[in-house]
Amino acid sequence: MPVLLLESIVLQTFPYSETSKILRLLTRTHGVRSALARGAMRPKSKYGLLEPFAEGLATFHLREGRELQTLSGFELTRSHQALGRNLVRFGGASLLAELVLRTASEESHPALFDALSAGLAHLEAASDEQVEAVALAECWNLVAHLGFAPSLDECLACGRAIGEDEDVRLDHAAGAVLCAKCAPGGTSSPGRPLPAFARATLGRFLRGVAWPAPERTGAHWALLRRFLLHHVVEGSELRSLEFLESALQERSGTGGPDDA
Amino acid sequence: MPLIDDLTAELARLPGIGRKTALRLTYHLLKRPADEVRRLARALESVAERVRPCTVCGNLTEQQPCALCGNPRRDPTLICVVEESSDIGAIERTGEYRGLYHVLGGRLSPLEGIGPDELNLRSLLPRLGGADAGTGATAGAPGVIREVIVATNPSVEGEATAVYLQQLVRPLGVRVTRLARGLPVGGDLEYADGVTIAEALAGRREL
Repeated sequence: MPVLLLESIVLQTFPYSETSKILRLLTRTHGVRSALARGAMRPKSKYGLLEPFAEGLATFHLREGRELQTLSGFELTRSHQALGRNLVRFGGASLLAELVLRTASEESHPALFDALSAGLAHLEAASDEQVEAVALAECWNLVAHLGFAPSLDECLACGRAIGEDEDVRLDHAAGAVLCAKCAPGGTSSPGRPLPAFARATLGRFLRGVAWPAPERTGAHWALLRRFLLHHVVEGSELRSLEFLESALQERSGTGGPDDA
Repeated sequence: MPLIDDLTAELARLPGIGRKTALRLTYHLLKRPADEVRRLARALESVAERVRPCTVCGNLTEQQPCALCGNPRRDPTLICVVEESSDIGAIERTGEYRGLYHVLGGRLSPLEGIGPDELNLRSLLPRLGGADAGTGATAGAPGVIREVIVATNPSVEGEATAVYLQQLVRPLGVRVTRLARGLPVGGDLEYADGVTIAEALAGRREL
């Protein structure tokens, strides 16, 4: 039974018995794993902080083939406590964690680990004005690392490369764009209009770049919702997205994301 | 034997009790005098039938309102908001708090599907003189509550819940405070973890 020291991010915790916790962790080299932390809720627990978004070096007695591993230590490197002090940050971080929980496997995926770690750090460091654009960018960036990125650079129908200043239509179900010639518009054309400036913004978001932020974010949230529900969670509920959307509505005092 | 199997299955549904422990408890009960077992059964039945959340604060109680809400010697200008009824006992044992309570029944956790609608917030706003989130009715006496003390757990989810409460309550003109975070009394700085020391530094106070 090998003892492994793995860079890990806590995605979710559940109480188990009176003093223990079951953790869902994203590890850098062993994908998503579940682990039992015995006595984690005791006042003098050897683990210290074990809560969502905490990063650290987890010591496992790894038994391949077992669903629940035993955690024998957790050396905290980043707590991300500040994520709880702003509801948009908290909702954004929860959405990133939920996306990983819903899609990632036990396969090694260091780039996904790095993207989540950076995403949590960026959300934590963002100012109140920046946090919404950062949340959008980090979600799309994670979608790209999970392998669901929409294709924005060439037309799905004719295969032609799309120019920088071209307006297109985005068929979210197909996960690709259609040029004006192949989808001239109107109700018979598939997808929804994606102006050149919005396509450029989406391209930046997919690389995790939040700036320059769009002036209106409602259409971007609506697009993200449609895309995630279709491709990532296949129509089931995405609880963190609902929480995040209501936190954004509370903040702006608006009726919610545009359905543009 | 179906009766033994039934009891074992019911005991195994309790938190922290697996099949083996449930079986051990079942055989322990079978060895005890029948009167003792009946007392346990009656106690369980009474709890199930008579204990309900207090209609005012959400604390678990046999009477409406609960003994804390109905006690005229408690300070009616203070409300301490806690996650669970069991947290009330921890605060009461200090003997330092004489105000009222409000039990949320959890904390915000989007990953577990716990949002504001899943918490006992509907009855909090009327207590503060605000409108019920669902019905729009106001039942409280505006100006009576001076301070809401948010005593959610010092976790990232507890903190988010505290922020949500602050945003909900502050517009009503009520002071909102949060329990302090930092080093435990009797602890040793050398052995404290980095997060706790950082929180203690951030929350330091003038001497």
